Amino acid sequence: MSELELNRRQLLLAGAGLAAAAWGVSGCTVERPIDKSAAGDVVEPKIDGDLLIFNWAQYMDPSIKKSFSDRYGVAVNEVNFDNLEAMVTKLRAGGSYDLIFPSTEYVQRLRNEQLIRPFDRAKLKSAATLTPYFDNPWYDPNSEFSVPYTYYTTGIAWNTDEVDTMTGSWNDLSNEQALGRIFMLDDFQEGIGQANLLNGFYLNTEKSDQLETSKGTLLDQKEGLRGFSTNSVQNLVSGSAAVTQAWNGDVVNARNQVDDPSVFAYETCREGVPVGSDLMCIPITSKSPGTAMVFMDWILRPDNAYKNVMWNGYPMPVAGGREAFAKLVKDDPSIDVNLDQLSDSAMEFRLDNPEARQEWTRIWTEVKA
Amino acid sequence: MTSKRFWDWFIFPGGIWIALLFAIPLCLVLALSFGHVDDFGRGVYGFSLDNYRDVFDATYVPVLLRSVGYALATVILCLLIGYPVAYFIARFGGRYRYALLAALVIPFFVNYLVRTYAWVALLSDQGLVNNLLVDLGLSQQPIQFINTPFAVIGGLVYGYIIFMILPLYGSIERMDPSVIEAGKDLYGSPFQTFLHVTLPATQAGILAGCVLVFLPAVGDFVSAQLLGGPDTYMVGNLIQDQFFAASNWPFGSALTVIMMAFLAIWMVFYLRRASKGEAEVL
Repeated sequence: MSELELNRRQLLLAGAGLAAAAWGVSGCTVERPIDKSAAGDVVEPKIDGDLLIFNWAQYMDPSIKKSFSDRYGVAVNEVNFDNLEAMVTKLRAGGSYDLIFPSTEYVQRLRNEQLIRPFDRAKLKSAATLTPYFDNPWYDPNSEFSVPYTYYTTGIAWNTDEVDTMTGSWNDLSNEQALGRIFMLDDFQEGIGQANLLNGFYLNTEKSDQLETSKGTLLDQKEGLRGFSTNSVQNLVSGSAAVTQAWNGDVVNARNQVDDPSVFAYETCREGVPVGSDLMCIPITSKSPGTAMVFMDWILRPDNAYKNVMWNGYPMPVAGGREAFAKLVKDDPSIDVNLDQLSDSAMEFRLDNPEARQEWTRIWTEVKA
Repeated sequence: MTSKRFWDWFIFPGGIWIALLFAIPLCLVLALSFGHVDDFGRGVYGFSLDNYRDVFDATYVPVLLRSVGYALATVILCLLIGYPVAYFIARFGGRYRYALLAALVIPFFVNYLVRTYAWVALLSDQGLVNNLLVDLGLSQQPIQFINTPFAVIGGLVYGYIIFMILPLYGSIERMDPSVIEAGKDLYGSPFQTFLHVTLPATQAGILAGCVLVFLPAVGDFVSAQLLGGPDTYMVGNLIQDQFFAASNWPFGSALTVIMMAFLAIWMVFYLRRASKGEAEVL
């Protein structure tokens, strides 16, 4: 045993060695630089291999992947992320995916970091019917890097068998009837954002005193929570959640999985309704960017868009998707999102200032701890 | 002499493996723990103690204490459940001994994450256990098992109990049964005999089991993530979130270094004990 024990001198030497190693790498970023040589090449839509899509769980009708696979003879595989930061982390580390589904502000970030590839939207036949709002948007000038997938509101979903005292306010995340059975989205922007709105602050506030106040609000709300989770569909369907902060489409998806769909309801809140859209982008690390482009075209085809909206409950701004969502909204107006809402930049999550972003994530970590 | 040289060469494959895949990444974690985050949210190496100051911020100390508390509870439960099981198999297993051991080990071929998901399915509000309780009239309404500290500790016990049972089995099986007879011959009651003979004779296995369960349980994040609620956040969750949700790798690294230093103290304590005569390092 004594042979294994380090004497003081060896320990000092080892310490010095580690310090030298630290000196050697000081100032470098962690990730090895990934190959960005393709960053400028415009992708052409042609089948060039199997697909690996990287998406939120339960966000695309599986039959669309299946039919694409049958039609073109390529495999369509899917892996899921829990939040967009995790998605970016994996891309930076060189993870190879062919199609990702970032939100607007993440498209901008990925573009700035050269982690996504440009493509010619005009070569997507189905894109011709896209709502003009998505041409030349703030996050993607000239629409070179993205096509829209869906858009959404954030509100609160609940189980009508258990709760009948919802008030249309973010205060409902502390509903008395549901205490201990309430979930908050495990997303630092959605969590802090609703607290900001509840306190009457600007959604994306960067003011430290306001953020501290919202942190206090979150800590109060945490007392009544059962957990932090983005898996609203599962939490509603399994009966774990009586009330949950949720994105509008998830309530439709949850209804699709139970015998009595009327058991789940959704509301948006009078203090403010966060809105957003998710886009489709091709990562720089894609091995089959051509197939990815053909697949985007496939998803946006009117019949597929219709099916997808009926399945996941989120509006798609394209022929077929619009009709399907109008049908869903007729039965439940609460899930509606319109383009006026979408163009209200005050209601979209956007933290351009890196320091503010770090402060937001720090507060969120402190709330969860 | 030459033959000893020859065998010395065998240290290289394993040594290089450890150096490349363990020692160097560890040095990088250590280096990064003094770093900061750039404007894109990427970790940058540097020289600052800020991250360490943050680790001992009043906000995170409860998380560290909670993790140690859960891990200690896990060790105690594993010992209370594992000892009788190991004792029975080692002493009374007879010709079924290896079949029984295999029956214990085989479930652990299934990935820990998958086994924890199975617990979610079993214990959720409308899971098998609750449905059974309600159907049998034992409970009016479903009991909330998951999203509680008990579920997290239960998940940890289930996840790591095999690391307690195997060393215990080893030490009980090696114990000479005649020492128990000797204890009885000296008019020791069964309890006294257990306390003064069996327990000291299997001390090495107990120690090994406790350390092998404690070390992974402290840093675990799966159990708290799947079975926990808002107040069961463990240091493993904190670290995971720094890497995958908060994009703060330097802070995550500092937390990792502190946790490893803490665990190393236990490891050294264990190795010293184990090397003193009882010599039962597993």
